[in-house]
Order: sequence, then structure tokens, then C-alpha cells
Amino acid sequence: MTEQQSLIELRHVYRSFEKGRVEFPVLQDINLAIRPKEVLCLVGESGCGKTTTGKIIAGLLKPSSGELLYEGENIEKFRGKRRAQVRRATQLVHQDPFSSLNPSHTIGQILGYPLKRHRMVKDRVELRRRIWELLTLVDLTPPGDIVNKYPHQLSGGQRQRVSIARALTVDPNLIVADEAVSMVDVSIRIGILKMLHNLRDVFDLSIVLITHDLALAKYFAWEGRIAVMYLGRIVEIGRTPDVIGNPAHPYTQALLSAVPEADPSITRSKEPMKLRSDEIPSLTAIPSGCAFHPRCPFHQPGFCDVASPRLGVTKQHQQNVACLPLNSGGELVQHDS
Amino acid sequence: MIGFETVASPVGLIIGIVCGLIPLGVGLRYGHVKAGVWGFIACAVSGFACGFLGGLPMILMATAVVFSYAYVNKQDPFTSRQSLEEVNFEETTAEYVIRQFAAFGRTLRAMGIGLVRNKGGFIGFLGIMFFAIMSIFGPLVVEYEGSPRMDRRESPQSMTLFQLPSNEFPLGLDWQGRSILSHIVYGGQTLIVTSVQAGLMATLVAVLFGSLAALLGGFVDQILSAFSNFILTIPQFPLLLVLASILTFTSNFMLAVLLAALSWPTLMRAVRAQVLSLRERDYVEAAITLDLGLYHIIVREVFPNMVSYIAINFIFAIRAAMYALVGLVILGMVPLREPDWGIMIWNAQSRGAFYNPNAMMMAFAPIVAIALFQLSLILFTRSLEEIFNPRLRRGL
Repeated sequence: MTEQQSLIELRHVYRSFEKGRVEFPVLQDINLAIRPKEVLCLVGESGCGKTTTGKIIAGLLKPSSGELLYEGENIEKFRGKRRAQVRRATQLVHQDPFSSLNPSHTIGQILGYPLKRHRMVKDRVELRRRIWELLTLVDLTPPGDIVNKYPHQLSGGQRQRVSIARALTVDPNLIVADEAVSMVDVSIRIGILKMLHNLRDVFDLSIVLITHDLALAKYFAWEGRIAVMYLGRIVEIGRTPDVIGNPAHPYTQALLSAVPEADPSITRSKEPMKLRSDEIPSLTAIPSGCAFHPRCPFHQPGFCDVASPRLGVTKQHQQNVACLPLNSGGELVQHDS
Repeated sequence: MIGFETVASPVGLIIGIVCGLIPLGVGLRYGHVKAGVWGFIACAVSGFACGFLGGLPMILMATAVVFSYAYVNKQDPFTSRQSLEEVNFEETTAEYVIRQFAAFGRTLRAMGIGLVRNKGGFIGFLGIMFFAIMSIFGPLVVEYEGSPRMDRRESPQSMTLFQLPSNEFPLGLDWQGRSILSHIVYGGQTLIVTSVQAGLMATLVAVLFGSLAALLGGFVDQILSAFSNFILTIPQFPLLLVLASILTFTSNFMLAVLLAALSWPTLMRAVRAQVLSLRERDYVEAAITLDLGLYHIIVREVFPNMVSYIAINFIFAIRAAMYALVGLVILGMVPLREPDWGIMIWNAQSRGAFYNPNAMMMAFAPIVAIALFQLSLILFTRSLEEIFNPRLRRGL
């Protein structure tokens, strides 16, 4: 594969938050490159830093250290007009469609403000035409029924579509969809995901989908990549078929073994992988060495809890994984301890 | 005199009628005569009451409402159900202005429905209107009695002029034989206007300082919060007494300034907390990623969601100012000038009306008037949420 210029790149990004006097790291050494028109899914359980990563990509949070590159250049270097353009190039779609739209504006106003502010349209006629087009693009038809409504008059799915349309007003290159469908009714999810796929073709968008649902990630990013996060680190990243079909990291394996199957009889007989502990360690006391070692069934005492794993290739897998035994050329062996 | 103390005047009536011709004309032009006539009446009444100050804003509102009726049947491309290719988005500037007017009118009508829908709130509104109309139009009907009326003694031997309500004097007579009704009618205006001024100033300062503290944070926040805490820790009424006795007041407006200066901190803390909560909302975050600018975020995203909250607190500020004002007057700390409800209570107290059943009305009438006005204000706050929150307004 030829090395393509990446749209957004995170290099050695660290981010920590303070709570009172205690400082705890939320992201540690995140390296991630998103190529144009790529679909990337960030998966992991709650508290693993998915949303923080998304917010850093969208420019809402600054990394504590490390750099964020836009088309190969550090984002801090841009000035003036270009800076504003770059910042608009990545947009965020929030998880909760009930709080992401201002209750005191109509849908027409919500879409009109950014269009007017950034002179995306030259006059009133074009403004209305553009709003109409955007609403059609996100399958809110007929637009005439929607424009003069307030957000509370729409359903959750419709609001989420408005929220996506709003992100599209400024012609972004990348959309970060932060759990964009997790609060939407299951029957509507597929529709919204399909629409996002179509929009990706229309607008040449890259999409970063943040989700805790592996099945959804598999469906959405089949042609793209999946990055699995655990306690502020990416533990496995690669093309979706590789990660789903042949998971390398024990954590990914555990997640996959917990996904229910459509057939209840299979689900019932399916044995989820046994972890040594079900508790997620607190971010204030991240375990030494590989952060997963207290829960890992393949834990090798004296090895996993000492050295820190880095993302790398293994013999058996196509994707990159951060697991000490695999990286050093060994295999995962279950120990009884 | 800054403010809008006003008495209905013939000039005002002419202004009102002239203003009313505009909505009437629009109503006739678009075939909505009924709406036009109501607009005419509204303009005439408010012009009659307040001159230009009442007539001009009412032109805007009444005309907008008339347009909102007239515009319903007109085909707006924006609400059509045709597809993108078939719709014609072209419109002239005149059409655009009318469309904006109609939208404003629809909002006003929705607000009106919000006002009427809550029974308690509507009763409060009627109460406020009653006192406003009484103060403005009352002087046309009732004559003010300022000087003692010795001729009203019941018999030449009687020592006092007090009287209980009778057919001739609905609220009885005070110790100088003057009609208490005339004092109630004339005595509300100064009190109400001064409290509204005080409430308005306190609200403005509180909103300004509160949002500055919350949005800028850091040093500014600390200074402003410390300042408001400092004022809050001083016992308010005793300080007011001391200040009122040191300073001499040339006008009621200065009194309003003093009241506002002491009452803004409570409201400022409330506003600050509200802004702190609102600025963390997802839609504010979205506005940041869309790069809509700080001005847009304050004025368009944060402020509209605070309007009802501010309005309610504005009413509470008026209430507090009125009590403080009456308290000062009763204690004789501000220059006394009749007619005034507070001074009526002071008179009642100093003339021993509290111990004389026949003089009961001297104290009773102003106390009931003040209490009813306050009650109306409190009831009215119930409607404010429904008026300003689009979520609670029912669509038309």
C-alpha cells in the first residue's frame, strides 16, 4: 500500500485531567493517522478515552503533550484565516441528540447560522436553497415540514440527522461521530449509518465513529479500520476484517467473545472468555507494565507487569497490536495463577 | 424624570389612533379586518396610555400579528412539500420583510397563548394590568384630593374626619377628610415605577456581571464574586436605612439606583450559575467547532435559554424593591411626598389609625393594594416560563 498523505494525525498525544489535586492520565501515547475518505472506528468500554480522543481530533481539547497534524502540518502553526478553515474542517456529531441542538432555534436557523457566518452562501435565496439541499441530503423530507420546527418537535433520529446536517454546513473533511447512534432507536440506526456512508462519498469525508458496540463497528467500518482502546491506549489497530476475523490482543478477543449472536441458541452455548478480573482499574491507579495484565488470562508474571507494550506487528496477524508476548514473537499461553 | 410615569392624555389618544391606522390598513389590505380592528384598538389604548412610548412598539407588534394571520394562506416556498427542483426560492425584499414580520407575529401569538394557558399566571397578569390601568386611566375619572376637607365632618361637634366606606366614598375618608380612593388611584404610580426602575437596573447589572464572571472566569470571576459576596454579607435593610438617612434624595430615580445597588448580588450569583451550566451544553460545543464566534454563542446560544429565568428574577427584584421602598417610607427615611401608598401607611400609623376602628381604611386600603400587587407579580411569574420557553409554547 502506498503511503498516502494523512488528513489528521495524532503523534504521541498525551492528555490528562485534574480532579482536585489528583491528576490522572486519560490518554497515553496515542498515535493515529486518519487518511482522506477513510472510515475509522474507535471502540472500547466506557472510560477508555474514546470521547477524549474524538474531542482532540475535533479540536475541542488540546493535547497535554504531543502534536496534532493537519495534512502533515502542526495545527498550532496555522494562523488567521487558514486556522479558522482548519478548525472548521473537522466537525463533531454529539451522542445525545436531545442536548446537541439549541431548543430555542428552529431547524432553519440552526442550519442558517453557520452558512451565513462563514459566507457559504451569497444571498437569501441561496441560503434557503442550501438549507433545503442539506435537509434532503440527510433524508429529512419533505424539508418544508422540518425547517420551521423546533428541535423538541422532532424525534431523536430526526434530530440526529439535523445534527449531521449542521456539521455538513461548513464543508468539513472529517466528521467525528461520537456514539452518534447509541441514543437512537435501534430500528433507525442502520438508516443513519447508511446515510453517513453516502455522505462520505458525496463530500469526500473521513469519518471517525466512536462506539462501544463492536457489531456496529464491524458493520460500519468493514472497508475501513478499527482501533481498540483500553485505559487511554490503543491496544490494537488494523483493517476491520483482520481485527474482527483474527483478533490478536486478549482484550479484543474478550470483547468479541462477549458480542451476542443473532441466533439465541448459539449465544447461549457461546462461552465468553474468562478474564482474571471483571473490574476496570481506575485511571488514577493504572497498573504497571501492560495496563491489561491484571485482567488478562494470558498474563505472564514477571514479563507483562514490568515492560510497557508498544504497537507493533506480530507473526500471526496483519494488524498492529500492543501485547508483549505477541510482539516478542511468542504465543498466548494460558497460565494458572 | 427618567422613567415612564404617565397619565392618559388627549394627545396620547391622537397618537394612538394614528399609530392604530397602520395595523388597521394592513388588516384591510390583506382581508383580515377583525385582526386589523383589534390591532387598531391595541394601538389606540397603548398610545392613549403612554404616548409614543406605548404607540410605536405597539405598531410593530400589532402589525406583525395581523401579518401572521394574513400570511398563513400564502404559499411560502419554504414550507411547500414539493421537491427541490420544483420549488422556487426567489422572493422580493418586500416579501422577505413580510415573511419576517409574520414569523415575529406568530411568535407573539404563541407567547399570548402561553400567557393565557396558565390560569394562575393569567390572573397575575390581569392583576398587574388592573393596577397599571388604574394608575394611568384612573386620574381621568377620580379627582385627587390633596387638601383637608373640614366640611365633611359628620356633625359640627365631631372631632375627627375618619369615615368607613360609604356609597359616596367607596374606601372611606382619612384623617383630613380626603377620599382614600383618590389616594389609592394616584399613589401607586411612583411606587410601581420606582420599583420597576430598581428591578430593571439590578437585573441589568446582575446579567452583565454574572455572564462576564461565568464566561471570562479566572481573575474577573474572582473579583466580581468577591464583590457580590461582600455586599451580600452586609445586612441589607439596616444598610439601606443608614444610606437613606445620610444621602438626600432629589428624585425617586436616585432611590431606585440605591435599591438596585444593594440588590444585584443575589441575582448575579444566580445568573452566573446558570451561564456556567449553559456554556457546557453540547450545542455550545457544536457552535465552537462550527466557529460561530463568542458574540454568537452569548447572544444566540446562551441568552435565549435564560430569558425566562431572567424575567422571573426581574419580577422578584421588583417585588423586593417595592418592599424595601415601602419599608423606608414607613420608617420615614425618605422625603415624604403625597400621594404614595407607603406614605398612606405611615400616615395611618402616625395618626393612630391602628387603634381606631373607624379609621381602619387608612391603613387597610394601601396594605391591601400593595399586597394584591405583589401577589399579582408572584402569580405572573408562573406564566413567564410558558411565554419564553419555545418548548412549552404550543405551536400555532
